[in-house]
Amino acid sequence: MADRIFAGVLFFVALGYTYIAFFILQAPFQYDPLGPESWPQILGIVALLCLAYILIRPDTEGFDLDLPTGGRLVALFVFLMGYAYLFQPFGFIISTFLFCAALSLMLGAKPLAAVVFSAATGVFGYFICTILLDINLPAGPIVAAFL
Amino acid sequence: MDAVLSGLASGFETALSPFNLMLVLIGCFAGTLIGALPGIGPINGVAILLPIAYGLNFPPESAIILLAGIYYGAEYGGRISSILLNVPGDASAVMTTLDGNPMARRGEAGKALSLSAIASFVGGTLAVILMSLFGPLLAAYAVTFSPSDYVALMVFAFASLASLVGSNPVKTLLGAVIGLILASVGIDANTGVARYTFGIPDILAGIDFLIVVIGLFGMAELIHLVEQQARGTLKTLKIDKSFVTMADLAKTKWTILRSSMIGFFIGILPGTGASVASAVAYGAEKRACNNASSFGEGDVRGLAAPEAANNAAAGGAMVPMLTLGIPGSGTTAILLGALLLFNVQPGPLMFEQRPEVAWGLIASMYIGNIALLVINLPLVGLFARMLTIPQQYLTPMIAVLAFVGVYSIVSNPHDLYMITLLGVFGWIMRKLGFSLAPVILGFVLGSLFENNLRRALSISGGDWSILTTSWNAVTLYILTVIIIVVPIAYGRYSAKRMEGDAATSAETPKS
Repeated sequence: MADRIFAGVLFFVALGYTYIAFFILQAPFQYDPLGPESWPQILGIVALLCLAYILIRPDTEGFDLDLPTGGRLVALFVFLMGYAYLFQPFGFIISTFLFCAALSLMLGAKPLAAVVFSAATGVFGYFICTILLDINLPAGPIVAAFL
Repeated sequence: MDAVLSGLASGFETALSPFNLMLVLIGCFAGTLIGALPGIGPINGVAILLPIAYGLNFPPESAIILLAGIYYGAEYGGRISSILLNVPGDASAVMTTLDGNPMARRGEAGKALSLSAIASFVGGTLAVILMSLFGPLLAAYAVTFSPSDYVALMVFAFASLASLVGSNPVKTLLGAVIGLILASVGIDANTGVARYTFGIPDILAGIDFLIVVIGLFGMAELIHLVEQQARGTLKTLKIDKSFVTMADLAKTKWTILRSSMIGFFIGILPGTGASVASAVAYGAEKRACNNASSFGEGDVRGLAAPEAANNAAAGGAMVPMLTLGIPGSGTTAILLGALLLFNVQPGPLMFEQRPEVAWGLIASMYIGNIALLVINLPLVGLFARMLTIPQQYLTPMIAVLAFVGVYSIVSNPHDLYMITLLGVFGWIMRKLGFSLAPVILGFVLGSLFENNLRRALSISGGDWSILTTSWNAVTLYILTVIIIVVPIAYGRYSAKRMEGDAATSAETPKS
């Protein structure tokens, strides 16, 4: 069933892709017989055929995800999006501290250990990357205060 | 032969320079570590570390030497978690658990680890030797390939991918097509028409390779790890004092050689890497021993076969990547993408135009294999201790590394959302029985496939029959048919034989 839903969603995406390939893409002038539209046309048709096959004969039964695990995965997704959101405005050290603390606590770390681990990852990670490896990371207010 | 020797000489010159030598050792060490961590395999390790290696501004040969070291190092280290934890790092280490873990459980963990290290070393080294002999020959031949031959080669590559990788050929093919579709986004180089960009300036130059790789192989793996973690805990077996004996080596020497050859040649097939090789080698070895019942109970041959094969396959997979520009496995697809990032076009001309990259990489693999054996025999205890690093600390680290890597390239926070969303997409695909390697293969090969098709048809003025006019192409199409038909026929044959076996064994008790 999960197969069918996934394939169904992709089917509409592929339909849109193929439609654009056939009716919208075209070059004002072109030197080769195929042009920019033929290759997407071929890909779109192959994708639609594969998806139709999966819609007719799906082979995965269920999605097999119990509620607590699913909840953790949703939380993980929220943490990741939050980390991405805060990465630049808060800077590497603070955003990494918050993300690592939240995820390691969720995965069962003891509070004190999680705080030490997250602080170490944020601070050491920042200095290893920026000073030792010369990689660009957002500084954020903490580092800015020292400069 | 002269060309090989002089090439190797120049390659060793590159690889033995102190900086590159250090990178080989770092790569092998980091690779073994990554391979040893449960749940993370070579492809995830290379994917997560690629942007950082790219961001360090190394010369291309140094970066590729480092990444390749991580690749075969992880192939090497995967056996540690397979044997001690019964948790394979990735698909290529699954077969190692079958006999390796039983050996460890009956108190022969030290023996299993040392024997598999030697099997890996032989497999890896044999593959590099074959690679330095055949690679230049294949490259010299491939120079004569016309665009239509390349189209045939691509068809062959995707057919062998669909036929040999994953359980459902349609899903594998769809995965590859998804990769090709993602690769078609961006400005068409021939006409300047923007395709599927929907006015978003970020993707005019195409979807960034690093984002796809990190999303599919870093973030999707992270989600998968959290899912697994929520479901149970892992228990490590202790390493004991037992060590491999001469008797074991004598018993397994032909096994190791046979499996190395199988691994190397399966590795060469486009798209089919170490996971197929180790499975085939294990099956072949079991049959060669008349299905001895000791297989699966801790037979040394059952341990040596997949380990020799998966390391040989890692080398074999490099051959088509270096000589044809077509990766032999998911991980080499990432390496190929890495070379493209450095403006090195892998393919038949690379041995002539960028010998320091091609030969430097090959020479570094000789050094790397020896280094891996040396650091693996005495230090296995250290790597085994890595298995006990609590997962709750390891998992956040993967996300931090992925974020640092992606951010360091373009410093665009939108990319961080992109990798997370791609990770969710990749995780769903995995959950539904798709393998992700075909997606990255399709993505890397997309423009090569399209450009050659268009070039071929430009030459013929739009006549499609040009695709089948050269002997190279015809041979490749025949091989394509063989690679599709043989596994199906073999599947039918063995299914029939299984039925026959079941029938006879059902009859025996009656008599």
